[in-house]
Amino acid sequence: MNELLKIQHLSKYYYNKNALNDVNLSLEKGKIYGLLGPNGSGKTTLMKIIAGLHKQTSGEVLLNNRPLSYKTKANISYMPTENFFYDSFKVKDIVKFYSDMYEDFQVESAFNTLEKIKVDPEFSISKLSSGLVGKLKVALALSRNVELYMLDEPLNGVDVLSRDVIIDLITRSCGENKVIVVSTHLVSEIEKILDSLIFLKDGTIALAGDAEELRMSRCTSVEGIYKEVFGND
Amino acid sequence: MIKLIKYEFIKKYRLIAITIIASITLNIYLITRSASGGIAFLSLFPMIMGVLFIVDIIKMYSDDLNKKSGYMLFMTPNSGYKIIVSKMITAVIEGLAILLLYFIFIIINGAYMTFQSGVEVNFNDIIYIVNNIISGSFGFNLAHIFVFMLTVLLFLISFLTTIYTAMTIRKSIFSETKFGGVLSFVIFLLLNWGISFVSSKLFNVLDPYYYTFDFSSQVTASELAHTFLPMNILSIVQIILLTLCSGYLLEKKINL
Repeated sequence: MNELLKIQHLSKYYYNKNALNDVNLSLEKGKIYGLLGPNGSGKTTLMKIIAGLHKQTSGEVLLNNRPLSYKTKANISYMPTENFFYDSFKVKDIVKFYSDMYEDFQVESAFNTLEKIKVDPEFSISKLSSGLVGKLKVALALSRNVELYMLDEPLNGVDVLSRDVIIDLITRSCGENKVIVVSTHLVSEIEKILDSLIFLKDGTIALAGDAEELRMSRCTSVEGIYKEVFGND
Repeated sequence: MIKLIKYEFIKKYRLIAITIIASITLNIYLITRSASGGIAFLSLFPMIMGVLFIVDIIKMYSDDLNKKSGYMLFMTPNSGYKIIVSKMITAVIEGLAILLLYFIFIIINGAYMTFQSGVEVNFNDIIYIVNNIISGSFGFNLAHIFVFMLTVLLFLISFLTTIYTAMTIRKSIFSETKFGGVLSFVIFLLLNWGISFVSSKLFNVLDPYYYTFDFSSQVTASELAHTFLPMNILSIVQIILLTLCSGYLLEKKINL
């Protein structure tokens, strides 16, 4: 059985909006998934439900055939798109927090990555630029040793040179027992590492499948498919 | 649990340091200005710290529920029950620390004012007073103080659980409604009204001794404990039920 995450009839309603509508998905181990869609398509809501920060209105999410609970959070590394760090902390305090809270967190690997992406552990979070916060978020999320990684807009606000470093980090974090889900607007920059694509439109799955097969069948790049799917929006 | 409490204090260590330094500075300023300055400080301190304490314990939980930094806590593999209990323990430790700080100021200011008045302090007198308290010669002893402190502590925790439950209900069942702060307050009032209603019904069927007790006469510690028993039992039941309710909602219904 290669399936890590199974989503069945998942819906999420807000008082004035239908964020997700009857989403069905199955994510297999050893793959990097691209979760693609414009703003408001439901990508972040879907990730937050899986991470346990939101609760679905209906439907079920199973991780290794187990319903989501606080216990499954130990096997999920989620990187929200917002700056969610405590303002009063330094970078090294955040690393210590992760190390205290997650048994799987690899401190040495985290410090090595921070050095590589030029984030000084002595920096105060409140004084970091959005680009540095972005790099820190990715470094910490990928320094955990879990089966499911979810990165919400990991390239947002990050300079062009650092984007390659982050893409490299994502690629190296993927193993045969792991799943990485990346949501991004910068499709062209990340499409080379994506194994599978999920296009989310108005809370429903507009298109999903193997990246290579979709490229071949449509004779265009992932960016081209993106434009085809969302072109009229 | 200990790690969660540890990080609650790490998050607010600056606030704690500023509060202590400001209190010491204000105290020095007041006691060196006039003879009644020490008394003025001791009157002001509980009022100001009481307000700050309430604001801080609300903010401690509210920030986690309403700000993005709450993801730091809620992404960790800790159950909702563990999170809510850790918040309550943090608040209780904070409350006790304020109380301890107040006692220290009482001793310091008392000693300073005695020294200033020129009265010769006899340490045998202090030992005599302490001995009298322990032996109960003043009409109360350490057991009385313990019973009273326990009642205050249980009341404080039950008050905290009511506040936290109101905020949890608002962020789970009513997470999509607007005017969050006002709604939390309305839920808090409704919870208090419900608790008062249930407690008044319960007390009506309890021992009438509870109501006819004469506080002007000397009471033993066990009589005092007996008097406070229904109130304390109710506080304990309230703490357990509301903690379970908050923990469940954090676990199953939360929308950050």
